[in-house]
Amino acid sequence: MNLSVRKIVISGILGAISILLGVTRLGFIPVPTPAGHATIMHIPVILGGVIEGPVVGLITGAIFGLFSFLQPGAPFFADPLVSILPRLFIGIVSYLVYYSTRKINLVLACILAGAFGSITNTVLVLGMATIRGYLPSEVSLSIGILHGVPELIVAALLTVILVRGIQRIRPVEENS
Amino acid sequence: MELTKNITLGVYLPGETVIHRLDPRTKIIIASVLIILLLMIKSYPAYAVILTFLSAVIFMSGIPLSYALCGLKPMLPVLILMWVFQLFLYSNPDSKVIFSFWIFTATDSGMHMGNLISLRVIFLFTVTTILTLTTSMVSLTDGLESLLNPLRKFGLPIQELVMTMVIALRFVLILAEELDKIVKAQMARGVAFDRGNFIQKTKKLFPVFLPLFINAFKRAEELIVAMEARSYTGGKGRTKMKTLQMSRVDLGAGFVMLIFSAIVVLLIITIKPQI
Repeated sequence: MNLSVRKIVISGILGAISILLGVTRLGFIPVPTPAGHATIMHIPVILGGVIEGPVVGLITGAIFGLFSFLQPGAPFFADPLVSILPRLFIGIVSYLVYYSTRKINLVLACILAGAFGSITNTVLVLGMATIRGYLPSEVSLSIGILHGVPELIVAALLTVILVRGIQRIRPVEENS
Repeated sequence: MELTKNITLGVYLPGETVIHRLDPRTKIIIASVLIILLLMIKSYPAYAVILTFLSAVIFMSGIPLSYALCGLKPMLPVLILMWVFQLFLYSNPDSKVIFSFWIFTATDSGMHMGNLISLRVIFLFTVTTILTLTTSMVSLTDGLESLLNPLRKFGLPIQELVMTMVIALRFVLILAEELDKIVKAQMARGVAFDRGNFIQKTKKLFPVFLPLFINAFKRAEELIVAMEARSYTGGKGRTKMKTLQMSRVDLGAGFVMLIFSAIVVLLIITIKPQI
């Protein structure tokens, strides 16, 4: 397997944005639930999958996961099986959704990619937290609905806006 | 609103203790073994052994105890909440009821479950904190690269992946500055970031995110051109200015760790799990 310079740099910079959203707490939406905040730190990962493909999505997800493992925002993220493993799938799912629906409509494909990327994050993280025994299933379910829905809406909207914006400034030959 | 004033990325406490002088590879291996052990432990005696070990390491590293544990403070409310959830909601058939009122029933198995996961989370957190407090980010990535290097044989681009990590760490600070400028520019235009309910607050994020991502991608294009112009080809045949070297201390640490993990594994096998 070979990584092009483009893939290395874009993954690195998207990873940096994800870390930045975490340390500045800008990536947290204050939703009034016991578990704290909804997050949009996974949006760079979704973008990586949609714009550059599954490999970049995977690497960006790994950086996001590694960071939330080393500086956990909630107690159960100290477990690498909850913080790192589920994040590897966000970018891949977004990529698959985007590429299977983009023939229909580009805007719709972005919305779906953002939504499904966000659902992947919510479901896999909370599912893993439940399997590992940190949260009872009733609690996970309610957090999933309370956090997952706002996260999903914000992620879908931001993905459309950001993908359209970024595709405008990218070199022409990359768009083909 | 100062967003980027106190960004701390892997707070490294420089020092000259034995723990600081250990090769980053040794520290990464020891931390990984500890994490794997912690994920498998399900009884109190094994946790007691881990507690002794970690206390010794904290003492030897000269990190003030308050410093090592201060990261836990913001998580405390959620941790207590998790414990309470387990107390009332977890139950298995042969658990005894401690007390009950209204629809809530506290069982002893729920309490053990709560205790065990809280201990696990606290210890996992302490392990990663000690690692990042005694090892700088640069030597951590160096150590990671040299540990993963054998995987190159299977065609995995290890050096390139580590390069991604380095770019990410470098760019956090550059993008933080950029973010600061964007936020100030929007505030000058009259956006009040700290007012409104959560939908209004979220809406205000859009005019910050778009310029942030666009600028980041512009910088990425510049960096790509710069790296390609210098013919960056990844790891093949690349040498290092500073090479890592194992010393006698690392050998000793490895030996101690081997005995310690043997004890813990023995405890995991012999003692019946609490839940």
